[in-house]
Amino acid sequence: MFLPQAIHSFAQVQIHERSGDSCIAQNKICPGWIIDNFDRYTHPLVQHVYLTVVSVGLGFAIAFSLALLAHQRRWLVGPIVGFTGVLYTLPSLAVFFLLLPITGRGTWTAVIALTAYTLQIIFRNVVGGLDNVPAEAKDAGRGAGLTDRQLLWRIELPLALPDIIAGLRIASTTTVGLATLAVFAGAGGLGSEIVAGSNITFKTGVVAAGGLAVLLAIALDIFLLAIQRALSPWRRAQPA
Amino acid sequence: MAEGSTGVIEPFAFLSPFVDAIDFILHTREAQTGTVNVGGLSQALEFTWEHVKLSGAAIGIACAIAVPLGLALGHVGKGELVAISISNVGRAVPSLALIAFFVAYVGVGFTNVTLALVLLAIPPILTNTYVGVRQVDREVIDAGRGMGLTPFQVVRRIELPLALTTIFGGIRTSAVNVVATATIAPLAGVLTLGDYILSANVYGEDGRLAGAILVALLALTVELVFAAVQRLAAPRGLKITA
Amino acid sequence: MAEALAARGSRAGGSASPVEFKSVTKRYFGQAEPAIESLSFAVPAGDICVLVGPSGCGKTTALRLVNRMIELTEGDILIAGESIRARPAAELRRGIGYVIQQIGLFPHLTVGANIATVPKLLGWDRRRIASRVQELLDLISLPPEMSKRYPAQLSGGQRQRVGVARALAADPPLMLMDEPFGAIDPINRERLQNQFLRLQSEIKKTILFVTHDIDEAIKMGDRVAVLQKGGKLAQYATPAELLMSPANAFVEDFVGADRALKRLSLLRVRDIDLWKAPLVRVGEPTAKARAAIGEADLPHPLVIDADGRPIGWLSDRDLASDVVTGTPDTTASPLVELDDVLRDALSDLLQSETQYAPVVDESGRVAGVLSIAIISEFLSSDDAAELAVDPAERVS
Repeated sequence: MFLPQAIHSFAQVQIHERSGDSCIAQNKICPGWIIDNFDRYTHPLVQHVYLTVVSVGLGFAIAFSLALLAHQRRWLVGPIVGFTGVLYTLPSLAVFFLLLPITGRGTWTAVIALTAYTLQIIFRNVVGGLDNVPAEAKDAGRGAGLTDRQLLWRIELPLALPDIIAGLRIASTTTVGLATLAVFAGAGGLGSEIVAGSNITFKTGVVAAGGLAVLLAIALDIFLLAIQRALSPWRRAQPA
Repeated sequence: MAEGSTGVIEPFAFLSPFVDAIDFILHTREAQTGTVNVGGLSQALEFTWEHVKLSGAAIGIACAIAVPLGLALGHVGKGELVAISISNVGRAVPSLALIAFFVAYVGVGFTNVTLALVLLAIPPILTNTYVGVRQVDREVIDAGRGMGLTPFQVVRRIELPLALTTIFGGIRTSAVNVVATATIAPLAGVLTLGDYILSANVYGEDGRLAGAILVALLALTVELVFAAVQRLAAPRGLKITA
Repeated sequence: MAEALAARGSRAGGSASPVEFKSVTKRYFGQAEPAIESLSFAVPAGDICVLVGPSGCGKTTALRLVNRMIELTEGDILIAGESIRARPAAELRRGIGYVIQQIGLFPHLTVGANIATVPKLLGWDRRRIASRVQELLDLISLPPEMSKRYPAQLSGGQRQRVGVARALAADPPLMLMDEPFGAIDPINRERLQNQFLRLQSEIKKTILFVTHDIDEAIKMGDRVAVLQKGGKLAQYATPAELLMSPANAFVEDFVGADRALKRLSLLRVRDIDLWKAPLVRVGEPTAKARAAIGEADLPHPLVIDADGRPIGWLSDRDLASDVVTGTPDTTASPLVELDDVLRDALSDLLQSETQYAPVVDESGRVAGVLSIAIISEFLSSDDAAELAVDPAERVS
């Protein structure tokens, strides 16, 4: 109700900066300002990376375990997809504040909310990847004398790897985006450079922070893709 | 955290803020700043309606743009890289940055925020429409063409109905994203349910929690509604199982 | 290749266990009729026993009961006298080679790693595994470099051979094969069947082989078990007995009305007397070719290369020049192998519309000439009437 006026007035507030007031006063995008003031982004960036990596890592640990559980007991798949689906539907911002009375303000709240968001996509991709393993490879494996556990770890999971990593890529790019909201939960991140201090009308700041987030997402995506390529040399083999 | 009247920490003490939040929704009270009354059902409904209006407008426009585009591209079979990449890039752009960018460049107001949300909503719908059309059985399309259907009729009578479930899946994903992002619309001057959360200095902690609850419920409702629509949208013939 | 196989013969003659089905019954929950009812038969060590029958007769089920991919309801299966239930299933399977129709090579492992599957499970050391992989690649006639390739880079026939090598890797005393040549195109299937039989003559394993193709059963089996619906054993006999004395109407029907023609599957080209062709090498004077005709059984000279491999037939026009040409008018196809069954050889001849086909041995060298006349002559002779050729002697 009162926010927009507040923002407009705060935009005039002096921001700690080194290259001329012209950038703020004229409110254009000035790359010079970004370069001069880059160190104000390092801490939020580190926080952002931390939030993303921890949340996706935790989400993977949970979703992967659930998928292994559901691999043998198919009836679990439906309920788990449904439950993680609810977690996926709840807007992160809402979840931050729903958790607030329980976990308080801070990084932990943000991590829980972000982790919950990743569960469904990772779970579905692990289960889907395992389902896509050719049935005859499993039959031959079992016939050769592999136990169920050996079959899972030596045959099924390696073959499911591309799908699993695809899920991780989607999860990490979305988490990078959502982590910008973590500022509202008191967890910092690049969002703090967009909102806190009310620089929301400060174009250069917004572009810098948003741009860094996009770059981070792309970097993670490429990194995971590289891992997938390295771990699945057989996919590159061309038919003779 | 909270202590019961007997001085012992009750195990369910964390529930009391939620009770207070529900109370906030139902009854008006004085604002933290002291000048006006806040809370109560009518205000909640007002914000909800604004939230729904904004989201609905954004989804509607996004569909109007993305579905025909996706159908056209899918029918021709071109632009796969673009259609898929748009989705990947779209996912990477933080919604907060997008809104902030629009506020900075375009200004505040309903139309401007809608525009930002439309940009957010397009990628999943476009990608799903494209993929949905590409997944239609080639033989069925061939048969249609062989019977003398024009390309436009092929799209309308064959590709669209068969791709409908996938398309609705994309719209559903988009809808949930838009509802979620509309929560931060107050930053751009449009007062949705997010105002409860973002202006906690006015509404108080109870208000903030109430906002969170209402947004969560709205998102769940939208998801369920679209899930139902998606199921109903599937052509009857496809639902018959052997 | 022949020398390599001979050297191996002394070592590979190793393990083969007899298999016995004792009143085996398999019932599926919720079904009134059992899939297999009281099936009993015994396979001596080193024999190929083919399970054949119409679809749904339970032949694949019976096969998969042996390595406990499906569990028995009643009865028992003994391998070398030991019940299959005596050991945990995974352990049992490591001692049984398993080849399936879709082959099922692991796409993410190299050919070498695929073959090494069971030896790795058994804990062999790396060097032993590596040498065994090379040995097997040689056995299935694939170059050593293949071990680094991935299954996606192989042709269907190559994949099938790798599948067999993988099953043989730990030298199991028993092999189970479920329509192993089913996914191969008919042209290569014949070749692979011949190769496999040559292999078996070397390694002499006990093999249980399932097929729906009666011709394949007769060609491949030392013994054939014809199954009816419900896994009932209609007849268990050698192929010759099956053809000459079918036990009942079902077997007669299943074997087919062309039983006489099928008898041609019981013999190989090497079993009959071939004609001698006049042989000349490239570059020799054509006078020599003309002279050679006099000593041969047919009037068409066959040009061979330096290794004795056939190139083509000399026509009258070719004979008119002074020197034997390297490119005669008629090429030497079809080529028949000594190991081909007569039935396949006859069908090759009929398809190509030629009268004569050069017969070659394993190294491709000419061993004689086959013609339709020879085959029909043989069929009407007294030798054919016997046809009770000892199964052990059929592949040699």
